[in-house]
This record gives sequence, C-alpha cells and structure tokens, in this order.
Amino acid sequence: MNSDNDTIAAPSTPYGESAIAVVRASGPLVPGLLKRIFGRTPPPRRATHAEYRDRNGERVDDVVFCYFRKPASYTGEDVVEISTHGNPLIVQKITEDLLERGCRPAGPGDFTRRAWLNGRMDLSQAEAVIDLIRARSDRALAAANHQLRGELGGRIEELTEELLGILAEIEAYIDFPEEDLPPEGRGGPAGSIRKLVTKVDKLAATSHYGAILREGVGTIILGAPNAGKSSLLNRMAGRERAIVSETPGTTRDFLEERMHIGGYCIRLMDTAGLHETEDDIEKLGMEKTLEQADEADLFLVVLDATVPYPALPDALAKRLNAGNTIVIYNKADLLQSEPRKQFLPDCAQVVLSALTGRGMDQLEKLLEGMLENEASGPEADRVAVSARHAQALGAARDALTAGLASLGKGHPPELAASELRGALDALGEIVGRVDNEAMLDKLFSAFCIGK
Amino acid sequence: MNDFTEKPYDVIVCGAGHAGTEAALVAARMGATTLLLSGNIDTIGQMSCNPAIGGQAKGHIVREIDALGGEMGVNADVTGIQYRKLNASKGPAVQAPRTQCDKKAYQFRLKHTIELQENLTLFQATVNSLIFKDGKVIGCKTNLDVDFYGQTVVVTTGTFLRGLMHIGKNRNEGGRMGDYSARTLSASFLEAGIELERLKTGTPPRLLGRSIDFSVMEEQKGDEEPCLFGFYDTREKTDLFHVEQSGERRLGWTPGEKQVSCYITYTNEKTEAIVRENLHLSPMYSGRIESAGPRYCPSIEDKFVRFPDKPNHRFFLEPEGRNTNEYYINGCSTSLPLDVQVRMIQSVPGLERAVILRPAYAVEYDFAPPTQLQASLESKKVENLFFAGQINGTSGYEEAAAQGLVAGVNAVLKVRGESPMVIGRHEGYIGVLIDDLVTKGTSEPYRMFTSRAEYRLLFNHGSAELRLAHHARDRNLLEFSRLSRIERKAAAVGEWTERLENERTAGGTFAERARRREAEIPFPAEFLALHAAVREEVLYRVVYRGYLERELKQIERMSQVESMRIPEDMKFLDIRGLRAESVQKLEAIRPRTLGQASRISGVNPADINILMIHIESSRRRRAKMGL
Repeated sequence: MNSDNDTIAAPSTPYGESAIAVVRASGPLVPGLLKRIFGRTPPPRRATHAEYRDRNGERVDDVVFCYFRKPASYTGEDVVEISTHGNPLIVQKITEDLLERGCRPAGPGDFTRRAWLNGRMDLSQAEAVIDLIRARSDRALAAANHQLRGELGGRIEELTEELLGILAEIEAYIDFPEEDLPPEGRGGPAGSIRKLVTKVDKLAATSHYGAILREGVGTIILGAPNAGKSSLLNRMAGRERAIVSETPGTTRDFLEERMHIGGYCIRLMDTAGLHETEDDIEKLGMEKTLEQADEADLFLVVLDATVPYPALPDALAKRLNAGNTIVIYNKADLLQSEPRKQFLPDCAQVVLSALTGRGMDQLEKLLEGMLENEASGPEADRVAVSARHAQALGAARDALTAGLASLGKGHPPELAASELRGALDALGEIVGRVDNEAMLDKLFSAFCIGK
Repeated sequence: MNDFTEKPYDVIVCGAGHAGTEAALVAARMGATTLLLSGNIDTIGQMSCNPAIGGQAKGHIVREIDALGGEMGVNADVTGIQYRKLNASKGPAVQAPRTQCDKKAYQFRLKHTIELQENLTLFQATVNSLIFKDGKVIGCKTNLDVDFYGQTVVVTTGTFLRGLMHIGKNRNEGGRMGDYSARTLSASFLEAGIELERLKTGTPPRLLGRSIDFSVMEEQKGDEEPCLFGFYDTREKTDLFHVEQSGERRLGWTPGEKQVSCYITYTNEKTEAIVRENLHLSPMYSGRIESAGPRYCPSIEDKFVRFPDKPNHRFFLEPEGRNTNEYYINGCSTSLPLDVQVRMIQSVPGLERAVILRPAYAVEYDFAPPTQLQASLESKKVENLFFAGQINGTSGYEEAAAQGLVAGVNAVLKVRGESPMVIGRHEGYIGVLIDDLVTKGTSEPYRMFTSRAEYRLLFNHGSAELRLAHHARDRNLLEFSRLSRIERKAAAVGEWTERLENERTAGGTFAERARRREAEIPFPAEFLALHAAVREEVLYRVVYRGYLERELKQIERMSQVESMRIPEDMKFLDIRGLRAESVQKLEAIRPRTLGQASRISGVNPADINILMIHIESSRRRRAKMGL
C-alpha cells in the first residue's frame, strides 16, 4: 500500500500512435522535477514549449508542458501534464525517466482517487470513483497475470526464493546468536547476493517493457482446417508467409506477423485448425491453439462459407464476445449467394475472399474499431504493468547492491538485511507481498534452531 | 465470606503467571480496584520452562515493558544470577540483554511485590467458569463456590486450559508438571462463541547438579558488566529492592555480583541411535499429539530427524537458582518415555551418571485464536473480556508479560470509558506482537523475532523508553518524577544528536567521524559527562542516521493509511466494489485501521483504496448532515 504523499506518474492518453500523447505526474516532487528537467518552473496553467531531456541529458522529444499549482489542479496536488508526439516509445521513455527521478507508477485509478480524496470531486462521485478503481485494477491484475504466467513470472518467483534463502541465512545469525549454527562464512552471503544481482539485471533487460510495446495486441486467427486461415494471414500481411496447402491441417507451427492497423500494432497469429483429430502432432497443435487463445486479446474466427459451420470447443467459445471477436465468412468468391450469418450472431460479421481480397477493407475497419477499444484498455494497462515491473526490478537491484556494499564494508549484518528486505519488497511489488513467514519457513528448514 | 466478594472489582485477572501479574500490577497502579486469582499462589510468576528472561527480541520486549512501568525487567534484574548481552558483535539494534534468574527468588520477589501493591487483592482460587450477561462478562465462578464480580475480566490461563502432558505413553492432566488442569473454563468460552484450538509445547528434563561432571564441559560465564532490563537512569533507585527470608524490602545488593556459570556439552552418535530407535515411542511421532508445536523449539527427536547431517546437538546446562542444585538442560526438549530419556541423557559427555529430578514432557493446551481479539486485546465476541499470554497462542514469558501489561492497561481504560492504548508497529516490538496476533493469528506458539519488525533498526533496546514515553504519559503509567527524567533524557538526546552533527573538529563534524567509525574522537567533555544511556543513544542515532531516517520516512509514508480508522460497525459486505474474498477476510478479522486491513493477506491495494474512499465518503456525508 502506497501513501499519498509521494508523487505518481503515468501516461494519461490511450496507448498507440496518435497526434499527441500526454504524460502526467502529480505530487510534491513536481515543482522540483520541472526545475531539473526543463530548468524552470513556469507560471501555473501556461503551456510552455521545451525540450525534454532525460536524466542523462539526452533529448527525448520536443514537448509542451503545463504546470498546475496545488490546489488548483485535477488531483488537488501539484501536477504537470507533458504533451509529447504521440509515439508510444517517446511516451515510454518519458514515463521511465519520471520514475527514475523518484516518481512511482500510478496505481489503477490513482489520479482520480487523489482528486476525490482532496475534495476536487463531489460526494456523489464516490461510487463512480470506486467503480473506476475496481475496473482498472481488475484489468491491471489481468494484465499482470497475463505476463506472470509467462517466463517472467517463473523467473521472478525464482529470484524471490533465492533472496529469501539469503535473507534467512543473515537473519538466522541475527535472531539466534545462542544457537549452534555452522560458523559464519567469510563475507557471509556476498557471493550469493552478487549472483542474484546478475540475474536481476538479466531479467530487467529482457522484461523491458518496450518489448511489450513492440509486441502489440495479440490477435489470433481461429477456424476449422482449410477454412483459409493461412490465406487470410498472408493476405493481411501482404506476402506469402504461412505454408498454404490444399491438405487440411498443414499449419502446425504458429506463425506470427506483426503489422500496423490504423495507429495500432497487432501481433497476428495463425493457429492449427480446430477439429477432432487422432493425429498426435495435430492434437498437440490443438492444445497449443487453446493455450494461445488464452493469451490473445482479439479473435478472428474464419469459416469456410461453402461448407457447414463447425462447432467451437467450449473452452474457446467462452472467451469470445462482441468486443473481441470478428466472424469471417471466407471463400466468398466461391459463393452464389450471401451466406447465412448465424455463427456467433452477437459478434461483428464480415464476408470476404482471402483469395481475391474482396471484403478486406471492411475487415480492417472493424478491426481498427476494436483495437481502439482494446488499446485504451488492457493493452495500455499491460504497458503500465510492465513499467511497474521494470521499476521494481531496478529497485531490487539497487537494494541488493547496497546490501552487498554494506557487507563489504564490514557493517553489522542487520544493515545488509535491511537493504535485502527492501529488495524483497520490490520483488513483492510484482509477485505480491512476500510475508515474513516465508523467510522464517526457509530459516527453520535450513537451520537447526532450538536452544 | 470475605468482604471482597461484595463489591464488584474494576478488574479481575484470572491467572498469576507472567501475563496475569503484569496485568494485575499495572491495573492496580493505575488506581483500579483489582483482584488477582490464582489456583496456587505459591506458583506466582513461575518460570515453567527455562530459567531465563530476555534474549533476542524478547530482551527488547522486556525493556519496553519496563518503559511502560511493568515489573518483569526489574524483577529479572534483581533476581538474576547470570547476565549476558547477546549479539555484542553486531549493531545496537539487534543486541539484547538476557538474564538467567533464580527461579524461586524471581517468584518470591514478584509475589511480595503483588502482596504490597495498593488496590490489589490476591486470592487463591481456581476459576471454573465466567459469568456472562447481555453479551458482556461480569465476573467468574470459582472452585470454592464463591463468585467474584468485576467490570472487566482479564484471562491469562497459560497452558492450563485442558492441559494434557505427555511422557511417552504416559499422560497426565495439567498445565505444568505438578499442577492441575483448568478443565471447565473452556466450556465458558465456547458458550460465549469464542473458538478454541490446540497447541503443543515442551520442556526438557531437570537434572541434579551433583550428578553432573562439569569438568568435561565448556563453561559459559556471564558478562562482568551486566546489561540490565530496567532503565535505572530514570527509575527510582529503590526499585532495585530484593526479598530475603525476612520478607523485608532490602537494598544494598547490586545486580551482577556473584554470577554463576552455565555449561555446554554435546550429543553424540550414541544419543542419536537411542533417539532414533525409540522414535515410535514419542507421542509426536506416534500420532498421539497432533497439535502444532513451535518450529524454533523442536524436540530432540525433531532435531535428529529433520537435520540428519548435523552430527551433534548442543545442550546448555543452566542452574535454576542459587539455593538449589537443579539444572535445566536447554536444547533437550522431548516427550520420549522416561527410561529412554535416562539412557539418552546418560549418553552425553558429563551426564553419564546424571540423575533426572523431573522428566521432560510435552504439553497440549487450548488457546483462543487471537484474530478474535481487538488490538486492545479485548474480545470481539464478549465485551469487557480481555485475553493475554499463551491463551492467545504465544510462547515465552516476555511475550506473555507484554500482553498482560497491555490488557491490564486497556481493562482499566475500558472501565473508565477511555480509548484503548494501542502501540503501533512502528513504536516497538509490543506493537508488532499484538498487531501480528490480532491481524494474522498464529498456527504455532508465536515467538517474537527481531525479523518480524519492519522497523527493526529503530527498535534498539536502549530507546524503548523514548519510543514509548508518550503512551506512558498519556495513560499515567509512570510516576511523575520518572516521566520528567525521561523527558529530560529525550531532550538531551535530541540536543546532542544535533550538536554532534553540526560541531566541527579537525577531521570533520563529530557525526561524520563517528560514521567513519573512527576509534578516537575527541568528544566535548560535556558530552562525555552525560549518562551512558544518553551517550549510547546519541551515538546510535548519529552513526546509523541514514538507515534510521529511511525507516522514519517509511513510517511517515504509511502514516496516512495506518491512522485512518475503520468504524467499528463497518459492514464490509455492503461496500460496493470490494472483492468477495476481501469481504470475507475483512469480516473475519474486522480491522480497525486501514493499516491493519492492508496487512491481511488477500486484501489488495485496490480494496484498500476502495475502503479509503468509502470511509471518507461516510465521513463527508456525516459532516454534511452536521453530525
């Protein structure tokens, strides 16, 4: 739980390419930040043109910023709004820079909550604020889980375990001086800490949230074998990519294509066909498809309009709704008349021919509309979540390094422990607070305590 | 009948162990009419297990007890027979005093203190049940068919609630060897809707000293300069009285004189073989005991089984007093049958001919999961009923005494209609202890460790008085003279911390040189003339400044959340936006501050934000209506 006397920062415009984007910060650090970043604190409420230079003095972008002095601001605190060019990478860099300068990433609904608590909103708006916090935090949680299910989660879990082991060792000698513990090693656990720092660094490099920014919105093509999924992917990507074959079930690899639709980056994924199969390889492919569908944000369901429509597995059907699914009736070139559009009737429907390109414009338009909704929602949260992870890993690293330095200077071990606990708290920001009981469990299982 | 049954007491304390005695003393000293009931007043303040007070975290707690006017610190200082400062090689925050006490002297002095205490009535009777009326407790029934009435009742049953002792297959009812079991009181709690669960703990055998060959053992002496629990720089010198056969208060003996030694020996392969061969006879392993015991105090069976790579285990032989030849074997807790205990003990060097005076045993007892309590230690289910000590799932004399003190204070405050004394997690170990208990509960006998405290570096034992002074002042727990001395001490510490920071010498300010840990710093004579307690505190603050400031900053960051109160009648179920899991947890624990709510596992930051908005909007709504 964070308190309200620190300074929060976050992008406040939806994710994606646009004319301008706005990054906002609120809290007591703001006046000082302006001085350091722009060299001055202009009069409140005046738009000022300036160069944004990051902590290393490198120019990030030409921006326009506006300072709002407390209490006359949205949150009732000192606030700055920085308008940049609407490029996700610029927004990311500025946000990162603000975090490095001592801001913390705004939690779900933080700005609005502060506005409300500082009396900037009416009592009647309380419920709306609560709903907003709930919705945002559920989405952020979903976004975080989405990432933590992957490799990142497993590795942070590993780091946490290692750190707990090191802490348990230090704490054992602090809390049980009368016990018959093995003699303390020279330099204590310095070697283990050093290893841990390297691992954190490595992870921080891979989990950099720019990677997620680049990744784009996961969009998955589903359908029966030979419904034309690969042809659609190729048509959208504009080049031969998947192996297109007359033999049903040829696509067993999961082909991915990154492309821009409107201002948005999407990650278009082809999948193996969905059907009952005895073939082991294909079975595996099917399972993989279901797994992929779990992590996808948007779905393109491709049907062969010339044959009866197949049934979808229940697990999959549950994920599809009007907000994330487009039903595509393919092979329109082979049709004599308009097909029966009764498959998932709540979802958007489009008739097209991947072969001739007929209907592709309509598909793109529908997709763009959906992306607009999507990008302002989960994907934007995912970026915020990733920024949070990056910041937490950085903080963990700093704390570990400080602990190492303290041990190196021969300071009492409780000081190093204090630093390592900081590191544990930082990792806890990602995987959830690590209770002291977890450390004690490690301690009592590793050391025979019991005078 | 005695006239003391006629008028209701302000506070009735059931049980005169380490929790009960502190509760009764502080209540009486605050001016409340207090009754202390014990099933056997010869066992007041008995040290049922090891003959020592203090140690890591526990020693810190005793100093905090002393800072709040409790008795344990002085009582241990005066009856100590060996004094050691633990962790002397580490930093001040994790150094702690530990004192071996003469068990009988400890009891006699405590009993005598209670006997002489104004407003306090001591009476020997076993409490069989509580008397409830309209959801409140109003008194208790005893085995003497005499009822006592009180506005508040503090229950400190230790291990006596349906206590059951195990030695191999042998089982005896009782909370401690030689004592009885409180068999019927549990029913009273169940009747009031208070849930009970079982815990287990154990104690090692006691040996006859003259049957031990100390010459083959390693001797462990006390420190020449004893590190005491009491703050004698602010206390009255007369607090150091001790009791002798005359029953008079006597001064003139200085703690630390004529210390006795402890001795160390180790188990070997023979010991291990004996234990392993007989594992099936240990009730813990045969399944006769199912309740959880403490991880930090495993039986010797557990040690051999769980750490097969460790070739031997250490035993400390600790004298139980000056006027007895009985020795406590620290490290040898077990519930193996007596004959196995004898063989096992006699396999250890120096103990070949050892005679056992009392066997080791395990004891199972009822406790009331402490999440059923408010932070004041008053029951959430029954008004005016307070719990302290092992009934709350804790272990240790010090943890018990701390709770007793807090429960005693809060019982009196309840009678007076005043708000309870709640010590924050940021103020001391007592705060951490009680917050952990009432917020998280416990699944093993809870013992304090310094690692449980988020702000451990601020909790150096020497600062206990300064950290807790405002509670002592607000609740009138100390004499005026001592409070003034504490205030002067605080002022001197503040002034000198600043002076050392600002005054320059050749090699930088005094503070800078201290932080560089220079050996010879020419401190001003005025500084050197200060009391050691002040000098040590000043130097601690100066040398560790960066770390301490960081912890203070964290406390400040949390203060808004920590201090936001949740109304007692809050209906979490009705709060829009809370997740079902959180509602369930919040309803079960019923936290009283947002800070407490935030420490409940499963309640996430979004829930706290929502709670915050909810509380604030109720407040604004009330303000709008002019309430």
